[in-house]
Amino acid sequence: MNAEKNHLVPTFVVFQVGTRRIALNRETVAELIASPQLFSFPHTTPIIAGVVLRRGRILPVLDLGPAVSGAPSQSTRFFLVVERTISGAIEKCAIPVQGACELVSGIMFAHKDAADFAIGRLDLNGEQIDVLDLEKAIAMGVAYEDDKVPAIEVLA
Amino acid sequence: MTQQANSGLAPRDARPKEQVVVFAIGEQSFVISASSVQEIRSTDSLGGNVVELDRPVLPKVRHIVERDARSYYVVSGYEHFHLPLSRPTSVLILRNVPVAVLVDRIEEMAEMRVLLGLPRSFSGEERTWYRGVTVLGHKVVPVAEPRGFLTAEELRRLEEENPGLLQTGVHPAGTSRRRQGERA
Repeated sequence: MNAEKNHLVPTFVVFQVGTRRIALNRETVAELIASPQLFSFPHTTPIIAGVVLRRGRILPVLDLGPAVSGAPSQSTRFFLVVERTISGAIEKCAIPVQGACELVSGIMFAHKDAADFAIGRLDLNGEQIDVLDLEKAIAMGVAYEDDKVPAIEVLA
Repeated sequence: MTQQANSGLAPRDARPKEQVVVFAIGEQSFVISASSVQEIRSTDSLGGNVVELDRPVLPKVRHIVERDARSYYVVSGYEHFHLPLSRPTSVLILRNVPVAVLVDRIEEMAEMRVLLGLPRSFSGEERTWYRGVTVLGHKVVPVAEPRGFLTAEELRRLEEENPGLLQTGVHPAGTSRRRQGERA
């Protein structure tokens, strides 16, 4: 946990979506939860994979796989609970993650090669990790789903 | 300790309860308030009470059904919820709305103790379809909104294209009311 070395340096949660490691500002992450059952029901909102029940609350599960790694996420036992603001209200959502999550500290910097969903980049001992703009990634996931629809219709 | 635990349960039992009908379409379960269901029939028993719409403006509505001097638009449950093709065997005739919903089966009557609002992240048609979600036997199940099966706009379109059809006994000129059994 490098993050505990210096409280003045911003901290990030690094996690894996599909095959890609990305980071989120620590302040937007509430917790990491394991093994909640994923429930799904009919809906038309892109990127929502279902919901999980957590302490009597319903958390929508947002699959960032399409935006971040170009494919829907594999089923997983772990979810990162993040906070997003919708219509002025904060809502907790769950993001399926693969592999380990770690808390790191570092200075984010702009980079010309950063992914479209990123607000910047971290250098972790030589590993370049994009820092996620959650809303941008969600919007990209929505666009990915929308692009899929005509293809399915054509095939049908 | 046991007494404390029991008394702790008392307030929970005092929470408002709502009787619901649990129904399924394909593998998906839904609940709907029992108070919004007037009657549950098997599709076989409807027989000659089903009339085909001459101008089906919505893919999910192709018929009306007459029951007790009233008519209801028959909404295909699987098409409404964009589910794969299924085999409806029951129909939920709703109260206060001119809607009868085709469903695959009735699973049970149950008591709903909690109604959780749909998270704001859901922004699609489901905001019209559901009152929220509930938890039944550790399962999260959507709670159908009776007025969501046909919105005011959809009802207006149906009425516009099939004028007077819901008024029982009225067979307006130019509107043939072909009964299901009369198909060639």
